[in-house]
Amino acid sequence: MNPHHEASALYTRRQFFGRSAFGLGTAALASLLGRDAFGAAGARRGVPGLPDLPHFAPKAKRVIYLFQNGAPSHVDLFDYKPKLREWHGRQIPDEVVGGKRFSTMTGGQTARPVLGEITQFKQHGKSGAWVSSFLPRMAEISDDLCFVKSMHTEAVNHAPAITFFLTGSEMAGRPSMGAWLSYGLGSETEDLPAFVVMTSRDKEASCGQIFYDFYWGSGFLPTKYQGVAFRGSGDPVLYLSNPAGMSREVRRGLLDDLAHLNDIKRHDFADPEIATRIAQYEMAYRMQTSVPDLTDFSKESAETLAMYGPDVQRQGSYAYNCLMARRLAERGVRFIQVMHAGWDQHRNLNTQLKIQCDDVDAPSAALIRDLKQRGLLDDTLVIWGGEFGRTPFLQGKIEDTKQWGRDHHPYAFSLWMAGGGVKPGMSYGASDEFGFNAVQNKIHVHDLQATILHQLGINHEKLTFKFQGRNFRLTDVHGRVVSDLLA
Amino acid sequence: MMRLRSLPCLALAVLGFAVSARAAEVIDFNRQILPILSDACFHCHGPDAATREAKLRLDQREGLFRTRNDLTVVTPGRPDASELYARITSKEEDEIMPPPAAKRQLTAAETELLRRWIAAGATWGAHWSFQKPVRPAVPAVPERSGWDSAQRVRNPLDAFIQARLAAERLGPSPAAPRAALLRRVTLDLTGLPPTPAEVTAFESDRRPDAYERVVDRLLASPRYGERWAWEWLDLARYADTSGFQGDPERTMWPWRDWVVNALNANQPYDQFTIEQLAGDLLPNATKEQKLASGFHRNNMFNGEGGRIAEETRVENVFDRVETTATVWLGVTFTCARCHDHKYDPITQRDYYALYDIFNQMSETGSASGGGGRSGAVAPVLDMSTDAERERVKKATAKIEAVAAEVEAFELKKFPRPAGKTAFDSPVAQQLPGNLPVTLAKTAPNRRGVDALLEAIPHFKSTDPDPVYTALLQKLLAAVRARDAANNAITKVMIMDELPKPRDTFMLTRGNYEAKTDVRVTGAIPAVFQAPPGGQRLNRLELARWLVSPENPLAARVTVNRAWQAFFGTGFVKTAEDFGVQGEPPVHPALLDWLSVELVESGWNMKALHRLIVTSATYRQSSRATPELIERDPENRLLARGPRFRMPSWMIRDQALAAAGLLNETRGGPAVKPYQPPGLWEEATFGKKTYQQDHGEALYRRSLYVFWRRIVGPTTFFDAGVRQTCTVKIARTNTPLHALVTLNDPAYVEAARVLAQRVLAEGPADAARIDRAFQLVTARGPTAAERSVLEGRLARLRTQFAADNAAAQQLASSGEAPRPAGLDPIEHAAWTALCSLILNLDESLSKE
Repeated sequence: MNPHHEASALYTRRQFFGRSAFGLGTAALASLLGRDAFGAAGARRGVPGLPDLPHFAPKAKRVIYLFQNGAPSHVDLFDYKPKLREWHGRQIPDEVVGGKRFSTMTGGQTARPVLGEITQFKQHGKSGAWVSSFLPRMAEISDDLCFVKSMHTEAVNHAPAITFFLTGSEMAGRPSMGAWLSYGLGSETEDLPAFVVMTSRDKEASCGQIFYDFYWGSGFLPTKYQGVAFRGSGDPVLYLSNPAGMSREVRRGLLDDLAHLNDIKRHDFADPEIATRIAQYEMAYRMQTSVPDLTDFSKESAETLAMYGPDVQRQGSYAYNCLMARRLAERGVRFIQVMHAGWDQHRNLNTQLKIQCDDVDAPSAALIRDLKQRGLLDDTLVIWGGEFGRTPFLQGKIEDTKQWGRDHHPYAFSLWMAGGGVKPGMSYGASDEFGFNAVQNKIHVHDLQATILHQLGINHEKLTFKFQGRNFRLTDVHGRVVSDLLA
Repeated sequence: MMRLRSLPCLALAVLGFAVSARAAEVIDFNRQILPILSDACFHCHGPDAATREAKLRLDQREGLFRTRNDLTVVTPGRPDASELYARITSKEEDEIMPPPAAKRQLTAAETELLRRWIAAGATWGAHWSFQKPVRPAVPAVPERSGWDSAQRVRNPLDAFIQARLAAERLGPSPAAPRAALLRRVTLDLTGLPPTPAEVTAFESDRRPDAYERVVDRLLASPRYGERWAWEWLDLARYADTSGFQGDPERTMWPWRDWVVNALNANQPYDQFTIEQLAGDLLPNATKEQKLASGFHRNNMFNGEGGRIAEETRVENVFDRVETTATVWLGVTFTCARCHDHKYDPITQRDYYALYDIFNQMSETGSASGGGGRSGAVAPVLDMSTDAERERVKKATAKIEAVAAEVEAFELKKFPRPAGKTAFDSPVAQQLPGNLPVTLAKTAPNRRGVDALLEAIPHFKSTDPDPVYTALLQKLLAAVRARDAANNAITKVMIMDELPKPRDTFMLTRGNYEAKTDVRVTGAIPAVFQAPPGGQRLNRLELARWLVSPENPLAARVTVNRAWQAFFGTGFVKTAEDFGVQGEPPVHPALLDWLSVELVESGWNMKALHRLIVTSATYRQSSRATPELIERDPENRLLARGPRFRMPSWMIRDQALAAAGLLNETRGGPAVKPYQPPGLWEEATFGKKTYQQDHGEALYRRSLYVFWRRIVGPTTFFDAGVRQTCTVKIARTNTPLHALVTLNDPAYVEAARVLAQRVLAEGPADAARIDRAFQLVTARGPTAAERSVLEGRLARLRTQFAADNAAAQQLASSGEAPRPAGLDPIEHAAWTALCSLILNLDESLSKE
């Protein structure tokens, strides 16, 4: 807890109890704590971050990261390369591949025939962005999006690559981006966690990618900064519901007396941790109200719900999580990490890619429209993308069309961003004519991270934490802000 | 970067004058100067040769005092003739150090301190923790009026603390009340609260050594090993699964039981170390010693599809090197994987010399070889029983039976020429995804869970065939049963040594496939100045060196971790880093005194713990004043007793004990208590199902709770991640923690059963309240507290009387039996009240 809070919490209660000598009754305490726990009337709720942050005026207040686990195929979805159709079935030139390493799934494969895109590309909007026919809803809003086609990364396997994107290190155990942001910037809400994670997967569950909790871990930062994973079934937050038979009124009464007894102890022992404890239980109580309110879609209009698609009412679906993301953004949550697994098409590109796109296309686009309609897009940075791309060449046999696939590909891939001060209607950077290597305006993962932090008013080199004798940061010792992307 | 040049004469004169005035000052190089140099200078002028500028090393004596081109970096007594001082005070952009672009700049106070240090003679010493501890003299404690010195200084430990307090003009706190002290020490030594009878006995025992008798009773209790094993499991990254995709189960629990037994037997810590690092290499190693070597097989193991085995193997070796360094050296080695350490005198070569020692095991990095789908990867110690093997046999037979049914059905469903697999049926080839291979091409008795989990939804909804779906579901159940039986076969992963040593080459940036041509062999890091023998060290020799007097760190880091457990923070707050960038110790002399004492006692851990808990320092009351809190918020000086929130596992054990639910069966396979449904399924895409235990297993100590690495037990919070070595556990307060102790069924049930317990005590509310309060906090409530609870009880009775159904629900939460005839309204009211008591700050805290 922030020291300022602690001090004011202490003050308020000391004042209160000092006057009442426990005689005022617990209802007054409840209203005191419940309505405005910490300060003068009208004071803004929230949990402050570091005193020197933001370093400069931020363009975005929050981030929604739509993470596509498993790695979407850039050459089938965004990075249109006519050369692939032209070369379809022919061995990809050695000078393009250049001895690069691949996962063991194609590492030993000598035949590397080029695989033409399995979708149809068209240009869309005023910006003329190339978007695949598998993503019609995203195509409609392409003038709101900023496509980056020159991403590249280092890892070739999923878990290390995702960890790299989200924590800046391939090794598990560093703080994730959301943890850094809630540590640095604090939160605009006390009723919800500053950093929320929601996960979903394709309906067919074809892939085995696991969501590791270090994707939203706090690493060496205090654990209170770690992401809170909302669950896809039951209580979104573990143990949120009171036990069967315990009403909210009963709970309130118990917490009033708990606070009362704890405060007796605080007076006796002078331990400031006890004031923190009292606040901790009150926040838990508030969360018990705010989370059910958050997940209650009954006041959403039919148009809004329709926009997100039929899955929106199914808890744990990507569509549901996208609508939740908007609702969390409205409520001041700092970092919302929506993860959808199922993009790992090694042997089922022809069947699975379409299913996967259908899962995410409408909800992703709806989220952008929805944020825009509500004026939230301006200060919400949305990112859509996976941990790497997929090989322009085939995994499998060219004659075995049923089992066409593409392997992991870190050397070039695409993602898009929207809102939060990023230039809309732009395509940035380029890969070579095979979509194999990023060649123009290359953006490394650390550059993207630096840019995200920049939009939140943070100099990525200055947000550090000393651990094991070293000052660590999200971007390690790398990263540059890609100012070309910024409006 | 640092080009040496002379200062203008004027400055020289001024500074020269200033020097003499403060010449007598004593500045501690290690505590005051080295941290500044390290933080601000070592990055470019430190141990890492690759980033070193101007060939200047300030981390070594030679560099710091060197003279070149008539310029001396530091001239003792003369800041004016010290280039270092000239550069840090220069006004020229191309001269000033650190360079203007550097992130770390010196503050005015630091610059001034450096000047005073030089002026006072620039005394130098290597970093404190790299020098062997020498037993310091026990300080004399100043007499003070009103002090009963026998009460204040019960053993030498107190003398160190009191001397420091006197220097700070602080006094100690009075002794804690007996009940509070008994609760504190019982929780610390056994992880469980004292019973009311134990409290009464201690309170009425007027013998002068009553407390020491309690301590000896607790140290002799088998609960002691269960309590202290927890810390060891955190640093050993112990878990019941391998982690990563698939997260297969392993059976390392016999190793865990070995730890508990060793702690209870008070095995000397040097032997404890040697057996865990290299028990397999001891002459005529016993089965127990081989089992102990499982310590370094507790790391995670990445067997993901597409994973390169060598990459996994190399990462495992890294983990063993770094865990060893953290546990026995308190030095962070990770940086040196890729380059020389930036701050500590650890080179990349040192790293790979240790790496070579752990590089000699037969592990290949491939997950196969341990048998079936189990996470037990060779080499293993087979500790299976007949019953376990019988279970596998039966489960396999069941698969064969179901597979025959499936086979018969598929002959019709996927028609094909005789003698061919279903894959040769055109129908089967049309199946989506992986199914043509994993289902059709694979004989039914060889199919795995993944394939069936992909097939079942397809035949259930996409292309419905209810009969076939039912058959596949039956097969899935049988396969899961066989896998579970296989996983339960007790095989403990242990260490071994290749007959012919593997060559070790330094790796570029720690990349497993980027071997350099620099070959290294096992050796102690050069900074420790191990005897130059030149011959290659093996694991056993390393283990022996680690606990030899030659290693300056092992005893210190061990004492520090114990201190951390008792007082909340170690002497060195950065328990994971005793290096130059770590926090310097508070009470450094006491740390060294205790370290020497530990070694000279024959590494007697129980004696160390006894020394600490029988000190007057430990026995102080933890009641503070706002002034004291302001003066020493973290209680580092120890002018009061420890008070902090207990680890969550201890809070759970306490709740079970208070309710009388605790089952004290020791050892054996892990148990699966209450957990919200669906967590494993969500995390593993349905491949793992949590099958909660029932009956006594629900009430076993937290130590025995099953730990799935990718989704750990949710009943614990702020727990070690059990993924990598953790020596310091976070202590935070979030609303989510409150939700656990308020709403987790384990806690609700504990409240409910605690209510039963006090309801059986007699009819008076006040006495029952006292009893419940006493069972949890070891003391009775004050009148004010009792009246708050009585008032609440009255309201709860009214509330539940108005809602009988709610009362019924709350009064029957959990699976523990409930006495017939108990009034549900009364029971529910007391359950709620007991939940309140279990959530008091005092209940959650060691006080």
